[in-house]
Amino acid sequence: MSDAALRTTLEPRTTAVAGFRRISGRVSAAVLRQLTKLGWLLILPAIILPIWIVGTNHGWLPEQILPRPQDVLHTLRDMLASGELAQHAGYSLRRVAFGFGIGAAAGLITGSAMGLSRRVDDYVRPLFTAIAQVPAPAWIPLAMLLLGIGEGLKIVVIAKAAFVPVVMNTSAGIGNVPRAFIEVGETFRFTSLQMLRHVVLPGAIPPIFTGLRYGLTHAWIALVSVELLASSEGLGYLLVWGRQMFWLDTVLVAMIVIGVIGFVSDKILAVIETGLQRWRIDDVQ
Amino acid sequence: MNVAAQLRTTAVPDHGQGRLEVRNVSKSFVVNGAPVEALRDVSLDVAGGEFVVLLGPSGCGKSTLLRLIAGLEPEFRGSISQDGNAIAGTSLDRGIVFQEPRLFPWATVSQNIALGLKNAPLSDRAKREAVAAHITLVGLDGFAQAYPHQLSGGMAQRAAIARGLVNRPRLLLLDEPFGALDALTRARLQVELQRIWAHERITMVLVTHDVDEAVLLGDRVIVLAPRPGRVSRIFAISAPRPRSRTDDDLVRIRNDVLRALGDGEEDGSGGTPISGPA
Repeated sequence: MSDAALRTTLEPRTTAVAGFRRISGRVSAAVLRQLTKLGWLLILPAIILPIWIVGTNHGWLPEQILPRPQDVLHTLRDMLASGELAQHAGYSLRRVAFGFGIGAAAGLITGSAMGLSRRVDDYVRPLFTAIAQVPAPAWIPLAMLLLGIGEGLKIVVIAKAAFVPVVMNTSAGIGNVPRAFIEVGETFRFTSLQMLRHVVLPGAIPPIFTGLRYGLTHAWIALVSVELLASSEGLGYLLVWGRQMFWLDTVLVAMIVIGVIGFVSDKILAVIETGLQRWRIDDVQ
Repeated sequence: MNVAAQLRTTAVPDHGQGRLEVRNVSKSFVVNGAPVEALRDVSLDVAGGEFVVLLGPSGCGKSTLLRLIAGLEPEFRGSISQDGNAIAGTSLDRGIVFQEPRLFPWATVSQNIALGLKNAPLSDRAKREAVAAHITLVGLDGFAQAYPHQLSGGMAQRAAIARGLVNRPRLLLLDEPFGALDALTRARLQVELQRIWAHERITMVLVTHDVDEAVLLGDRVIVLAPRPGRVSRIFAISAPRPRSRTDDDLVRIRNDVLRALGDGEEDGSGGTPISGPA
């Protein structure tokens, strides 16, 4: 587009009326887009739920194995009312918060060091890769002997799960900031700190956030694994206990809550990410 | 033949600032394990306030030479100095505009230009004023808060020029700054650049492979020959400014330059004699 043409398309944004019209138009379009997206998201549940209802009504599976949806709902309501669910979820959330917080912070520091320094990368990567190859749940037996079965174990296992993807994406993101941008910083005599603050970090934010979101997902998976094996409270424990008692409604409630919390926390990270990257989502002419 | 003596013949009086001396500069790169000679024994003098164009086909090392002058490539043989001081690394006294605008996509136009002033010894207020003044200088008033992806190629390159100038360097290096633009925008920005050069009274060294651009803008056009890159001919252009593309003198020089480029291509041995100004 020529400068003159662009000027005429861009300039109206300076007037308030045109700006408002543009924004309101954008909002209604955005709402429509969101609704369409929601519609697509609901297709699968809309297929599965009737099958579930019909299946349980006709006794396709014994009730101990597949409870009726209304029973699950009933259990959910009971457990909410008694505070039992909140208590278990609280334990799990606290573990994920600590584990993810520690793992992500350590991951950001390690990943940044690896991305910024060739030497650190050379020294650290082989060991890191070896550690990363062993999934978090496989660390539980060893960690149990070292740390017992207290909170420390859970937090360490969760932290390890979050640590790995954060390191991988942070180091790759920082290492892949285009040389062209670094050179611009060099021509302005940027100090290392200025280079980090104004060039490297802004350029690496998208992959870093990808890493954080993966890290959070992995933290939840690790939480359930560790609570399954070594816990007497939490959502993972609720799963094991429910299965042992053949209270499948409890198992399903725990699964639903884990899914919902995981979904919501991922969304929160996504919103923060979008906020940090306003320059990306701004409308393209 | 005494190249240096000839190089000193410049068309413009020396202002004493932004002088550039390139002496016997050679540069090799290692490509796939084998050394490739990018520049061989290049010498060049640029007077303060002069507009010099480095012209040549791809592979003649003209961009490499510019990067050496900018201080972006630390290793080379020979010497380069600005106003008598040997170049070691980059300096706020030398601005550079690349072929791609290289604006930081996460920063607005004014933030991008302001980043150029991070290490300038100015008060915050003076920096703000400098940013605003340079936005005006390149004709981007009203776009200070726009992000790079909202700009056309021409506007982005204007912003890059403003960023290159914001430190008030005595020397501005331009590496094919209009190469990626459409013909119309390119022509307009060439005129703009002439205006800015006249206004700022600084030295400019522009790299291009566009003969029309070279003769329109340059006080002198240095034709480089490829493989290895070396100075092949120098044309002094004394046509008065502001210049018009259709000026008879310019058209004649343009044809001479084209012929020189053609000679260079046929004569692969690199024996093209350096001739005096046309």
